[in-house]
Parts: sequence; structure tokens; C-alpha cells
Amino acid sequence: MLNFILRRIVQTLLVILILSYVCFGLMNLMPGDPVEMMISSNPKITAADVERLRSFYGLDQPMYKRYLSWAGDIVQGELGYSRTYRIPVTEMMGPALGHTFILSVASLVFSLIIAIPLGILCALKPNSKVDYVVNLFSFAGISVPSFWLGIVLIIIFAVNFQILPAGGYQTTGMAYETYWAEFLDKGKYLILPILSLSIQSIGRFSRFTRSSMLEAMRNDFIRTARAKGLTAQVVIWKHGFRNALIPLVTIVALSVSSIFSGALITESLFAYPGVGRLLYTSIMGNDFNVAMISFMISVTMVLLMNLAADLLYGVIDPRVSYK
Amino acid sequence: MKNINILLVAVLLLSFSACTKKNKNPEPAPVPVAAATPEPPKLNNSEIKIGMIQEFETFNPLIANMAATSLMSKLVMRYLVTIDADGKWIPQLAKSIPSLESGSAKLVTVAGVKKIEAVWEILDNAVWGDGKPIICDDFAFAIKVASAATVSIAEKEVYTQVEKVTVDPLNPKKCTFLYDKAKWDFYQLGTFAPLPKHLEEKIFNMHGAETAGYEKNSLYVKEPYNVGLYNGPYLIQEIQLGDHVTFVQNPKWFGEPAKIKKIIFKLIPNTGTLEANLRSGTIDMISSMGFELDQALAFEKKVKAEVLPYTVLFQPSTTYEHIDLNLDNHALKDIKVRKALNYSINREELVNSLFEGKQAPAIHNITPKDAWYTDDPAKVTIYKYSPRDAERLLDEAGWKRGPDGIRTKAGKKLSFTLMTTAGNKTRELVQVYLQNGWKQIGIEVNSKNEPARVFFGETTKKRAFDSMALFAWVSSPESSPKSTFLSTNIPNAKNGYSGQNQMGWINKEVDKLCLALDLEFTHEKRIQIVHNILKYYTDEVPVLPLYYRSVMSVIPNQLKGFRLTGHQFPETNEVEKWNLE
Repeated sequence: MLNFILRRIVQTLLVILILSYVCFGLMNLMPGDPVEMMISSNPKITAADVERLRSFYGLDQPMYKRYLSWAGDIVQGELGYSRTYRIPVTEMMGPALGHTFILSVASLVFSLIIAIPLGILCALKPNSKVDYVVNLFSFAGISVPSFWLGIVLIIIFAVNFQILPAGGYQTTGMAYETYWAEFLDKGKYLILPILSLSIQSIGRFSRFTRSSMLEAMRNDFIRTARAKGLTAQVVIWKHGFRNALIPLVTIVALSVSSIFSGALITESLFAYPGVGRLLYTSIMGNDFNVAMISFMISVTMVLLMNLAADLLYGVIDPRVSYK
Repeated sequence: MKNINILLVAVLLLSFSACTKKNKNPEPAPVPVAAATPEPPKLNNSEIKIGMIQEFETFNPLIANMAATSLMSKLVMRYLVTIDADGKWIPQLAKSIPSLESGSAKLVTVAGVKKIEAVWEILDNAVWGDGKPIICDDFAFAIKVASAATVSIAEKEVYTQVEKVTVDPLNPKKCTFLYDKAKWDFYQLGTFAPLPKHLEEKIFNMHGAETAGYEKNSLYVKEPYNVGLYNGPYLIQEIQLGDHVTFVQNPKWFGEPAKIKKIIFKLIPNTGTLEANLRSGTIDMISSMGFELDQALAFEKKVKAEVLPYTVLFQPSTTYEHIDLNLDNHALKDIKVRKALNYSINREELVNSLFEGKQAPAIHNITPKDAWYTDDPAKVTIYKYSPRDAERLLDEAGWKRGPDGIRTKAGKKLSFTLMTTAGNKTRELVQVYLQNGWKQIGIEVNSKNEPARVFFGETTKKRAFDSMALFAWVSSPESSPKSTFLSTNIPNAKNGYSGQNQMGWINKEVDKLCLALDLEFTHEKRIQIVHNILKYYTDEVPVLPLYYRSVMSVIPNQLKGFRLTGHQFPETNEVEKWNLE
């Protein structure tokens, strides 16, 4: 198992290295550069200014040289500066990662808490009324575009009923006297984004749970367990659900990997200052350092979560071996 | 489990009930929903929250380059001079604007080069937020920082045009600027910012030698709440990147006292949710960097229909929407074809039908707010909508109608490609309107739209459009048209694609006039030169003028003293006049 983990870690590092070059190349292939942005907002910039600024930002160097310089800095733990804000990338990414983490974890947990029981319920009573209703809402949840759903939620809860804020992550200028007050204030800003993100995930997770649970409950060992006189709870949770977990773990692991990459549309709609929005604005603003670090975090998380999922398969199913 | 199910079903039902409402009513405004909106709370001068859609950057006035930062920085930074809401240059930190007529500026010859010398005197009571006086040394220091090769200032010439600052030994607030050349617009120092030398000098001395060392270590980055960095009516109290910036009154402010105690700029990047944020009370008004025109027009109707306590303001701006013609295109080389294209645009109908008359039709690149503007037919050629004249010109040019109604000449169709930014609803509507008009006189025009990034980053920059490019030029009053008209400013690889004469217009007379304009110190003669340039411009039609864009804002009815400007010095330049009581 140790060999397997080490081999996967080496593979992961190699993939990160290759992807970092690909991402860097793609960023550089995009039309325009930071100097173009300056020209478009200030038509009085002269040819001499353009030449000076290109040299200043190293844009007159070939791409491989710029990549080596960037990669060299990263290896030394220097993530660089945001060209837009002139502050270290770490200072920018830290709060954004924190906000996105809270939003994504809360949404994921909320989705799983609702979706798994719903999926199991449907699998235990296939083709029943409950199954039809849950299926209907699951498909509706999966099909509804998040930008539309977000706007509808804002109109209902923020504009009409005015019970929840339309956007942001905390009341501006609020001084919190207790942690509880801070939790309550920030919590109310999370409700609509979480709902918006979860309605889609609930549909997806409940469909996966239903199908894998349905499959598991058809196995001979379930019939045997029932014949042995085990209680329904033990049959469902210990024998059925455990065997239904493998496909679910894969999809949950992939969802966990996006915890740090943010949800661009939801974050933009709800003016939530997370990583998704930061990545988008940094790409649009040619803030290469910020965009590259965001990419790297996403890539690393996807690879690590895949590794975690592979390891979990063995824990869930003893028949899986690591060779 | 049962409770969770009920909750889930309730949420979904609520969502779908809204969906049903929206589908039943194809109007963009969900009127039944909106009608139920509770009244927003009454505002007072204690606080106002303003929505904007663009990200902001550093507040260092030398480095900042984005329009969003400019909008906010006017609350905290004031300059020697500025342009007021009427489009006139006025002193801000300076006691008066130097001029040759008053004797406060004079032409001098230094080492055989004609230059200009101007005496600037800073207001006696002008101080930084920490009470230190704003003095000439602060301007000299800004020039020193901006001149350093290690600082990534965008438009260096703003600072380096002042070669030398001589401070009056008896008065540190009185100085003489020696400019590198004699230019009539020497006083237009609206973006020439002072830097607080008493705070920033030690940073520059310590880090100025490293590349980007100063800008990364500047107090504007490390201690943005340091009151001594600012000289405007407000100070920065809190910055939450990607969310909001809070400003509070500057107790040391030396101008007209500001009325509103706290101003919060809230970033709402999605224009679609701006209205919801306004109506839910998350923000109290929408800045000029908010609504698109179609949203503002729709919201104005709602304001009237539902008697909402807001006013939607529209202000013609110095942004000129037009079509650049690629003069290297074979058919467009013929002036008769260009004139025919111009004659067949019904601008009045275009602005009335698409913009409800809120944007003004354009006749050339200079806007009606500019002192240089003219619509005198004796001075510029006016193209009134006339399909008959357009058809006559095309007939004269040898383009005859084919069986499909499209004109041909020597077996070639009179066909063009009109390119613009993809996803810009207004431009796409204009595109369709123009295509229909041109089709009626036998010209085929196809659309090809690209994302703004590609369109501006590659296509227009490298003149890679086949025939027509629809976009806007952002200008300011009394601004030299050199960057767009000079033949040396035709973008090419040699000049790093930096010029903006994307038409490829070459007129030696216009070149001479543009260069002469810089050296003309008499206002009336300058106007004469500009009118001569406009005569060539409207005669030769290198560009098809369309309309002058408007800027929009939504303010609470209570807010008094708010004026949109329509130029690069935004509404916040007069923030101290805003009053909610």
C-alpha cells in the first residue's frame, strides 16, 4: 500500500508539473496581455510606454523563460504578487479560499445530508409515489441553470420577503461582539448561495445513491442477510449501503476536489468573494500570478482527491487491493 | 427525515412558483414580484451604500489605472486641477490655473528648445489627512518616483512632461514647473497626483532600486488606512478585497465640508443582480459603473410604474460609438462608397427606436459637451439620412444592382463584414439595424462578432478586420485627436501596435494640423484648427459616426447635489456636495 501511495504521489507531481506548463501556455495564448489592458483603459499611453511596460513585466521574453522564472519562484515558496493589487498572492488567496471553503463544505454537507437519505428511500421503495416525486425534483434540480435559480432565490427571499440579504458575505461595517453574533450574521449571507449550489447537488447525489443502492440491494448477500434474520436497519446500512458506497465515494471525492476551486456563477450572482470569482477576474484582468495559483490549487485538489478516493475504495471494500 | 423532505419540497416549490410567474410574463421585469417590494428605509446623511460592478485595485495614484479605482479614489485624492461636471477645467488643489494671459505662465527657450514655464500655487489650507501641508515637494517627489525605471506607471509622460520643479524659498506651496516642451494644454494636469513625500520617501529610498520594489512596499499597499496618504474629503476606513470599501469623513479636509458621514462602495459583479440588491436595500444607489443602458431604461419604466423612490439619471458622455472603416479594403478605398454608407444610416431613428432618445446621434468624434464641438454645416459635412443620395453615389461609383438586389462591380459583390464585441446586446442590436439599412441600398453586410478580449486584443489592435469594426473611443473634452488621426499612429509591428488610427487614414494635412494644434496657445485659433481637422474627417469619412454614449446612475430621490459628468473625472469628484437630508 505504501508503494502504491508513493507511486501515485510521484505520478501526481508529474501531472501537476505538466499541467502547470499547459496552463501557463494557455494563459499566454490568450489574446491581449496586462499592457493591452492598460492601453484599453488609457488611450494616451504611447508606443514608448508600451515597450517599457512589456519589458517591465517580462512580456518581451519567450514563454519558456517566463515559465521557468515563475516555476523557480514557486519552488522557492514565492507565489508572486498580484499585478492588479500589488499585494502578495497569498494575501489575496487566503481570504478567498476561506470563503469558498466555508461555502463549498456547507453546501456539500447539506447536499449529502439530504440526498443520501432521499436516494436510499427511493431505492428501498422503487416506483413508489415517493420515488416519483423525489425523481421529479432531482431531475428538476439537475436541470435548473444555477444563474437562473440564483436570481429566483434573490427575488423571492431578498427582494420580496426581504428576509435574507441579496449578496455579500457579511453586513458591511458590522463589528461583532461575540463569535455567535458573527456566526449568525455571516450565516444568513450563506443561506441563498448554499441553497443555490445544493439544489443541483442534491439531485445529482440522490440519483447516484438511488441507483447504486438499488444495485446493492439486489445482491444475493442481502437476501442471505435477511434470511439470517438480521434487522432491516443492519441489512440496509451495514450490508446494502456499504456496498453502494463505492460509486458514491467517487462522485463525492470529485465534489470535494472543487471545494477550493469555487463556484464562479454562484459567487458572482451573490457577490460572494470566493476563489471562483477571483479566478475569473484575474483571468479577465490578466493577473497571471493569481490565475496560475488558482489553477494549481484546483489541479492539485482534483489529483489528491482522486488519490483519496482510490485509497477509500480499499477501506470500504476489502476485496480491493493495491498492487 | 420527514422534516428534511418537507423543507426540500418547500424550497423547490418556491423556486418553481417564481419560475411559473416568469414564464407567464415574457417582460424582463417580473412586475407582480416587484409590486410586492417593500419600501426601502429612509436614508439620512449617516451612511450611503453604492453598488458598482468592477473590481478595484491599489489606491496608489501613480499606479492605479482602472476606472473603478478612479471612481473611488476621487473620494480620497484631489489633484491640482480637474474637469467639472460642465466639462470645464477648474483648479482643485491649486489656487488658480496658470495661463499666458494672466502672466502666470510664459514661453521660454532653454538650450535652443522652446518650453513653457508655469507658476502653480497650492491652496494655503490644503493638507494631507495627517495634517501635514501639501507642498510643492510632494509633486516633485511624485515626478521622481514616476521617472524611475523600476516603477510600472502606465502613462509616464503625465509626470515626465514636467522637467523641473523650482520651489519658492519663501513659500513651499508656490512652485514653478518647467515643461519639456511648449504645449497649450500644459495646465491639464488632472491625473498628475502629488505623493506624500513625508511618508513615501523612505519607502522609495529603501525599495526604489528593485524592480516593482516601491509599488509593492508603498504604504498605499502596506498601510492603506494611513490617513496621511490621502487629501480628499474622505479617508479609507476598511478595504475588503472583492467585496467593499468603506470611506469616512476626513476631519482635516480643507474644502466644502462633506455631508454624508460614511460611504460604502459595494462590489456586485453581476449586473443582473444589481437591481435586486438595490430593491432589497443591500445598496442605496447604483454608480455610473453599474447598469447597462437597456437595464437603466427598463428600470426607469419600473420607477414610474411602481412609483419607486429612485431617479434614473442619464448623462451624455465623451464616449463616441462609431464604425472604423478599414481603408485598405478595395471597395472602401472609394470615397463614394464610404459616403453612401454614411448617408444610409438613419441615426435619429436609431437612437430613438433603440435607446428611447437617451443617447445622442453623432456627427463626428467631438461630443456636444466639448468646447471644440461644431455642427455648423459651413465647417463640417453633415450627412442627413438620404438613401437616394446613397444610391446615387453607388451608381456613380459603378456598383450596379444584381438580381438579388445586392450591388456588383466587375463580378464582385458589394459586401462587407461588420465586426464588434460578442455578447454586447446594444451593439448587436445596432448591427442588425445597420445591416437592414444598408441592404435597402444594395450593400450586403455580414456580422462577425468576437469576445471583447479577442476583438480588442487582436483584431482591432492589428487592423485584422476586413472592412468594418464597431466600437467606442473614450475621450475627454479638448483632447488632441493625434492618437487616432495621425498617420504615424496606424498600428503596425514596428510601433508595437500602439497607435489607434485603425482605419489606416493617411492625410498629410490632418497630420500637420494635429501637430500644429499642440503648439497653438490661442483658444480661438485652436478651435479653428480643430474645425479644419473635422472638415477633412467628415469629408473623407474614414469612420462612420453613430452616437455618443450616455452614462447612467440610479440615485435615491432624496440625494441632492449629485451630478454625473460623462467624462474621465467621475461623479465622486464632487462627492462633498452630496446631501441626503
